Amino acid sequence: MDMVLEADRLGKRYGSTWALRDCSLHLPAGRIAALVGPNGAGKSTLLHLAVGLLKPDAGAVRVFGRSPYGDTEGLADIGFVAQDTPLYRDFTAAELVIAGGKLNKRWDGALARTRLAQLGIPPDRPVGKLSGGQRAQVALALALAKQPRLLLLDEPVASLDPLARREFLQSLMGSVAESGTTVLLSSHLLADLERVCDYLIVLNASQVQLTGAVDDLVAEHRQLVGPRHDGGAIGGVAAVVRASHTDRQSTLLVRTDGPVTDPAWTVREVSLEDVVLAYLADGTTQTKHSEWGVPA
Amino acid sequence: MIWLTWRQHRKQAFYTLLGFVVLAAVLVPIGLSMRSTFADLGLAECIRPVALSEAAVQTCDAGFRRFSDQYDSLNLVAVLLITLPVLVGLFWGAPLVAREVEQGTHRFVWTQGVGRTRWALVKFGLVGTAAVLLAACYGLGMSWWVEPLTQAAHEGRLGMIVFDLQGVVPIGYTLFAVALGVSAGTVWKRMLPAMGITLAGFIGVRAAVEILARPHYQPARTQTFPIEGDGIPELSRGDWVLSMGIRNADGTMVAENARIQCPPGGKGPDGRACGSELGLDPGAYNWQLYQPADRFWLFQWIETGIFVALAALLLYFAIRRVRRIA
Repeated sequence: MDMVLEADRLGKRYGSTWALRDCSLHLPAGRIAALVGPNGAGKSTLLHLAVGLLKPDAGAVRVFGRSPYGDTEGLADIGFVAQDTPLYRDFTAAELVIAGGKLNKRWDGALARTRLAQLGIPPDRPVGKLSGGQRAQVALALALAKQPRLLLLDEPVASLDPLARREFLQSLMGSVAESGTTVLLSSHLLADLERVCDYLIVLNASQVQLTGAVDDLVAEHRQLVGPRHDGGAIGGVAAVVRASHTDRQSTLLVRTDGPVTDPAWTVREVSLEDVVLAYLADGTTQTKHSEWGVPA
Repeated sequence: MIWLTWRQHRKQAFYTLLGFVVLAAVLVPIGLSMRSTFADLGLAECIRPVALSEAAVQTCDAGFRRFSDQYDSLNLVAVLLITLPVLVGLFWGAPLVAREVEQGTHRFVWTQGVGRTRWALVKFGLVGTAAVLLAACYGLGMSWWVEPLTQAAHEGRLGMIVFDLQGVVPIGYTLFAVALGVSAGTVWKRMLPAMGITLAGFIGVRAAVEILARPHYQPARTQTFPIEGDGIPELSRGDWVLSMGIRNADGTMVAENARIQCPPGGKGPDGRACGSELGLDPGAYNWQLYQPADRFWLFQWIETGIFVALAALLLYFAIRRVRRIA
């Protein structure tokens, strides 16, 4: 399979803290991938490494087989919308489209103008005076005008109201569907992206917790409810992701490698959100109790 | 890139030009009136390097005094004017990178098809060129404006403040201020801290160079003359006196910042030898250390060179830093 983005034991450190560590993942071409994780999990760091803003401190990242840091030519294939969609606030949308044309060799200004016209965005107002949703649309139009093969969006909908979120994602899907662009978009809320993505990368505490196609992930995870479990092996279960116990009963979220036939367990299908939450719950207590001076 | 730079900075450029025009509108009439007074008092004759008669010297001194009475307060204006280069550094240099990073727009512009090294080179280059042009105009204008004030003052063009205002040094200062602002912005990445550091750094370096380095660009000359004589040998106008005093025959400094002159064979009121109440032995002499006035342009180029070199170093550093900002 054609890999658009590959990371191999990728790491980035700020001072002595690792923002991203031992991150290995592959993003196949043509996917709409969601990068999900709580705030501070390293999502932005990963995207900045992928677009060449940051230089890796360990391991390697490759986009279309090239190392992105300092690679100006490679930038032409990557569209990037940074968090909070930063744009020159005193520029009008029309001026930003001109600026994009001056800054890129491959640039479809007509595409950007058509999009913005369809969305009803005024061409002659400074983008700082547009609404958050409109500004995000301008940023997206600018990224799409580069005709990128990979589109990276860092928390594109975080600051938008629910209606604007839906509109933004709809217009994004509409435009990448025909071009076959691979998209990687991050969010701290899975719910934002669940409807649009078909591939998932879960990042938590600077490490990759889970990665794979959404269908596969849903298919291979199950919830088991049964008598209190003491940690022994269960037939058909590859790993227990998360377990919660009462006095008599255990509820397990497991990754399966075959059908669970043990009649002691009631097997239930899980939603994508259940899976993600189970992986995120693992290792969320990062802050040391001793730092707060309270017992663990 | 050039279009983008112009679009981003055109408002700033407009206000800078406006400020320049206002400044010129204030200073040009003052300069003209200074020059006409200078001519009316006949001072042009006094600064010629020819020996003047006793009467002419008297007239000249009176003229200089009248001129100084009228225009001395302008030296204060001159002090204000030497702050202009640092303003360019604060408002053009410091925001160049810091503003982009503060508003996050560096993530937009550095992920387009132009690499950030090229971005930095074009931006620094264009803003630097604009600053040099501005500084060259300022230097020329100031040379014209301050000329009568300088000629009326005894220390001449090499004197503190007036040296800093005119000639080519403003180019060095302005370029340095811009470079300092830019690189402060790549380190602190916020406008206000970057501006603060630029201000502090600029004052610090300027003061250090002015006080510690400038007097030693060339070995200073010494001049000695006896304490008994017909008159103090007049230094040529415009020499920059670094220090002076009275020394004994063996070279020990007896009185700093002083000079005395007694008529030949003159005695003090109590009949003792000239200067003996100061502790002077026979054979004591007046001494002074100075930089001759004709070194003005040499000193200008040396000082400009120092600041241009510092600016180049800082810009190199800034470009290196830009590659590490995310």
